[in-house]
Amino acid sequence: MHRELERVITEIEKVIAGKREVIEKILLALLADGHILLDDKPGVGKTTLAVALSRAVGLDYRRVQFTPDVLPSDLVGFSMYDPKTGDFRYHPGALSNANLVLGDEINRASSKTQSALLEAMEERQATVDGVTYPLQKPFIVIATQNSVGTAGTQFLPFSQMDRFLVRLSLGYPGHEAQMEMLRGRQGKEPMEAVESVLTRDGLLAMQQEVRSVTAKDAVLDYISRLTIASRSHALLEVGISPRGALFLDRTAKAKAFMDGRDYVTGADVQAVFKDVCAHRVLMKENTDGKTAEDVLSELLKTVENPDRQGFLNGIFKK
Amino acid sequence: MRKRTLCYIIGLMLALCLYFFENNTGTRAVLCCMLLFPLLPFLRKMFLSPGPAEAPMQQPVTVRNFSCREAEDSSDVRAYQQGDPVNRMHWKLSAKRNELLIRKPDSETVPEEISAKAAAPQGEIGTESIRKKRILICLSAMVLLLGCLFLIPAARYGAQALCNRLFDASEQVNAYLYDRFPVPADQSVLLASVLLLLMLLLLITITLLSGSRLLAFFIAAGCAVFQMYFGLAFRSWLCIALFALLALWMLSRPLSRRNALSLLAAILAVALAITLIYPGVDAATEAASERVRDSLSRMSQQITGTVREVPEGENETRHTHTQSLTEGEGEADPEKEYRLETVEEEQISMPEWVSYLKIALLLLAAVLLLVLPFLPFLWLNARRKKAQEARKAFASANVSEAICAIFRHVTAWLDAMGLGAGNLPYRNWAGYLPEGMQPGYDERFSQCAALFEEAAYSDHEMREDQRQEVLSLLDETEQALLARADWKQKLRLRYGDCLWIG
Repeated sequence: MHRELERVITEIEKVIAGKREVIEKILLALLADGHILLDDKPGVGKTTLAVALSRAVGLDYRRVQFTPDVLPSDLVGFSMYDPKTGDFRYHPGALSNANLVLGDEINRASSKTQSALLEAMEERQATVDGVTYPLQKPFIVIATQNSVGTAGTQFLPFSQMDRFLVRLSLGYPGHEAQMEMLRGRQGKEPMEAVESVLTRDGLLAMQQEVRSVTAKDAVLDYISRLTIASRSHALLEVGISPRGALFLDRTAKAKAFMDGRDYVTGADVQAVFKDVCAHRVLMKENTDGKTAEDVLSELLKTVENPDRQGFLNGIFKK
Repeated sequence: MRKRTLCYIIGLMLALCLYFFENNTGTRAVLCCMLLFPLLPFLRKMFLSPGPAEAPMQQPVTVRNFSCREAEDSSDVRAYQQGDPVNRMHWKLSAKRNELLIRKPDSETVPEEISAKAAAPQGEIGTESIRKKRILICLSAMVLLLGCLFLIPAARYGAQALCNRLFDASEQVNAYLYDRFPVPADQSVLLASVLLLLMLLLLITITLLSGSRLLAFFIAAGCAVFQMYFGLAFRSWLCIALFALLALWMLSRPLSRRNALSLLAAILAVALAITLIYPGVDAATEAASERVRDSLSRMSQQITGTVREVPEGENETRHTHTQSLTEGEGEADPEKEYRLETVEEEQISMPEWVSYLKIALLLLAAVLLLVLPFLPFLWLNARRKKAQEARKAFASANVSEAICAIFRHVTAWLDAMGLGAGNLPYRNWAGYLPEGMQPGYDERFSQCAALFEEAAYSDHEMREDQRQEVLSLLDETEQALLARADWKQKLRLRYGDCLWIG
């Protein structure tokens, strides 16, 4: 495990107990410079997690609570006539000065607001009245979707889910973790104790290092075979997109970096495969109760991993 | 879907042709199979669908389509009154007449008109469920009629008589063809058969390459042609097996349990149909194979040079015998004399190509006898050579390559003993390693797996001591696994997998 990342995790764990795996995955997305979709019920600590993360990593944090009347201009800013100068002046929006944006309940936003956000996520810039304003670096969106109380909401269309690097779910804490959480909040607020152990530039440097992690052809071949196999799978209507393959590569590199290696292995790809790809595939209608996760596990089982390639049936059958 | 239908139609035509040319067990069974084949999906639906599978009839959709009607039609608009909902305002008409108009609630006038409009396209398109239902009804009626046909004795005998009539017709066609296209008596068939064989091979290659399911049809058709020309009737179970193969080929992949069950039901139905429809078909089979045996014996006589005139009477009796089987109690028909004539023609045209064939077969047999005893040794030697080459990589100057080769050898040993963890990355194998190894083996294995990953996936320079580490793991694995292998596994390790060179 990378030492600085270990410290980040320790800091975040001060406020969120027993969720180490999810924190690791979020850090993976951070390293891979991708956006995160949290699919969860209310009150499991999504906001707490995002705040703690921004504090520990030293990022500027903004939160947007989406409602049907949030407009695109609230996000990317707008130009207003200034009578003193007789000119239009740009007023930055919520996305403009933030590194980490928590988009709460993105499914409550109107579809044009959703698409404005997704466009900003994709291009990392905001265009208002023909002028392009670059967003901060790094720019990472943690969007949440509530699956409860869905009346009057618009879930993200399948095509737009593809833009998120990972889809995660925090889930309820167990008894022990919840006890610990309650104990920790007697008296003082634990969020105050979260220290900044990483800087923005440090994170940028790490992202650079992640990009330079070695991925040999054997691993790229594996990623390609996995995604192509998903496209012809009998239970999948739509398989993993080329963008999915790209994201898979990036996340696997981040995983290798997190484990303190400068090369990607097939096991890294397997470790991140389900988180990166489960929201990118569309199941057919009649699937005998199988979920996307089951299909992806099956793919991992059947597609020869690069360690075993050519060796599944004995050593001399290369 | 269209391709499958086409396949089916071709198959059906072939089966029909066959049936009319040669009426025996095999062709009957093939025809039965072909006729019953389309039942397969419906059998599945009828017996194995989960409850009411058909979608409920869709309610006619009420479409509010005002633009279709003329704007002047003022019967369904009225003046705006305060409190009327704004979204029911008829803006177009309002703008035209310069007063605010509102659409009347469409409870009185609209429904008939619209439901009529909605119904018209529905009839054209025909919802899937209705179409399916109709097909189902037709099919069940068909099955019912078929059942009647075979259960009512009068109908059954009538059907048999009808079959015989058809058979007669085909005989006549046959006789006509023999007259119309005479063949020289001493014509060699060698070239033609070679060409046909090549064509068949090419056909099979093409179907294999294209990955199509046509292959089953070609097999079926080939078998059918074979039995038509040589009069060899397959047993009914063979036909059923053929049908099963065909059906299996045509089913969608992956094969679900429900599909498999329906396949089973269909096979049972075919078997039942064959046994029910044609009792006593074995006699016809007997007659057909007798004919083949006859011609074979005549061939052998010709080769050995002891041509014996077949007495007229014998042929005649056989002829009438077959006929009485196929035609019930019908009398001998003078028009069927061509069978006798062709038999005599064959007697004359036989010897030349048969002797060539005999020589070729003898040569082939001689070559095979020479080569065969050495084949296993050749095979073993080739494997050993490969194994030694693989071992050469252990001492390769490129240490990374060597480490990969050695570690893969370790896993090949585990695989050969059936102890491997299959398609898992080696890093995760430690949890699946066999019990009873040396203490600490798991850790050493994990360490070496990490070394393997580094060697395989990074550009790092590997060190010599790391190679030694993996080599010692290989030694340890070999010794431990050899100690627990029984003689069969040892034999396989030594000669089959060639992992253990000794």
